[in-house]
Amino acid sequence: MNHRLDGADAPYWQGLEQGRLLLPRCAHCARWAWPAGHRCAACGHIGVVWEERPLKATLYSWTRTWHRFGMTESLDVPYVSIVAEVADCGVRLMGRMDDPAPADPRIGEALTGRIDATLVGDDRIPAIIWSRTA
Amino acid sequence: MTSHPLYGTTAVAGVGLRQFKRGAAPLPERSLLVEAILDACAEAGLDPAEVDGFVSYGDDKNEPVRLMPDLGTRRLSYSAAVWGGGGGGIAGAFGVAAAAILSGQASAVIVFRALAEGASGRMSAAVMAHHLNDHLLAAGLVAPAQMCAIRAQRLFEHHGVNPALVEDLVRASYHHGRTNPEAVAYGQDFDIETLRTSRWIAEPFRLYDCSRENDGAGALLLVSAERARDLAKPPVYLLGCAQGAEAGWGDLMENDADDLYATGGFRAVARDLYTQTGLSPADIDCVQLYENFDAQGVMSLIDHGFCTYENAAEVIRFDNLIAQGGALPVNTAGGNLAQGFIHGIGLPIEAVRQLRGESANPVAGARTCLLAGGPGAPTVSSAIFANAVL
Repeated sequence: MNHRLDGADAPYWQGLEQGRLLLPRCAHCARWAWPAGHRCAACGHIGVVWEERPLKATLYSWTRTWHRFGMTESLDVPYVSIVAEVADCGVRLMGRMDDPAPADPRIGEALTGRIDATLVGDDRIPAIIWSRTA
Repeated sequence: MTSHPLYGTTAVAGVGLRQFKRGAAPLPERSLLVEAILDACAEAGLDPAEVDGFVSYGDDKNEPVRLMPDLGTRRLSYSAAVWGGGGGGIAGAFGVAAAAILSGQASAVIVFRALAEGASGRMSAAVMAHHLNDHLLAAGLVAPAQMCAIRAQRLFEHHGVNPALVEDLVRASYHHGRTNPEAVAYGQDFDIETLRTSRWIAEPFRLYDCSRENDGAGALLLVSAERARDLAKPPVYLLGCAQGAEAGWGDLMENDADDLYATGGFRAVARDLYTQTGLSPADIDCVQLYENFDAQGVMSLIDHGFCTYENAAEVIRFDNLIAQGGALPVNTAGGNLAQGFIHGIGLPIEAVRQLRGESANPVAGARTCLLAGGPGAPTVSSAIFANAVL
């Protein structure tokens, strides 16, 4: 876990551990900034604030993985990975999705997320699992 | 005619390629590379000890200084690599090499890539290791195929490009590979059903949508245009080269600008390349197109101005993509899919052979060849070669 506290996105990981989605925005011009960085290139300000966002998103794109790639051993194949555009901030996050099989995911559909984890080796990485909004 | 300093001022004077089945190379990786370099120098009639510069890309593990004992290098004066773990930097490597020559930092530069599973492991894993982080791991995304699949899905589902288009690109690649004795597909009749029935890797990609790795090494010798004219082979000139990324593209954890997301990342690079050379897509006689995955090849053709999302189906047609009469011959040795995949180094080698008239699938009257680097990489690059300074 500790290596996740080394980067500029440490508050994101800490947030997920505490059951909250926190995303960074410029402390001056309030522009959302992801991946997390150090300086806002739009206004030149250094420093971000982290704000909680609800786990609501739209599906930006997706893939359903069938091949057993190394490091995915904890996931049953096939499984669906997606890019989710978080509501009202435009930030896109990579995540997993409950497979709607036999139907396919649909770009643009509304998603609701829950916080779980992906096991990679001995490491439990916090993960957002999205599903179709009922 | 343009006065850009890169235009026609350096040239490839020799090429060497050693390719084997993945995991089956008869020599260590560095030895394969040495042989490819010796071949390139032999073609040119240049003493390998005179090579004083080396440029690679894609996290190649063969640090040039270690080649010196085998090559008899008298003075290593330039070694560099284009940043990035994928094949995005392959064309940019020629720009780096040319810059070294034109600025007097080196006079005979080898552009190379070597890869043998025993030494470097699986290339896909190495490429991914360059990028891997916990955001990707948490999403179950660990391979280039998956990352490119997500972009391809958006190309097809959101932008409405017909997914069946990729079949024409794959068929053209195998058509060319079939007659190339060096190709993995040599002598094989490819049935498109092979693709359609191959197993899913990551939707929308099946196995045959993906390039499959080979062991091997490739080397190209770049010298000044003036010096090339005194060497054994007809010069193949570098006319231009551009690399990098524009704002809204890059290593952004899928937060690329919306209008760039389902591209190969080349729009700015292609624009710069055409501006630099004064050429346009209509001036390109053939294309060596890096296709890590077939859909990314389609994106790359779109980025380079050969077609659009809307009219891609009119241009990306089997008959149009083959050397025998096509207006846009692509991957005339078979490309990464059907010639073989040593992180793309076979592509510039075919560009050179095509422009010398040595291709297994000659394009009648070809004067120019575009080399498009690995699409979808954060840093991408492209170059144009020609057999005359137009």
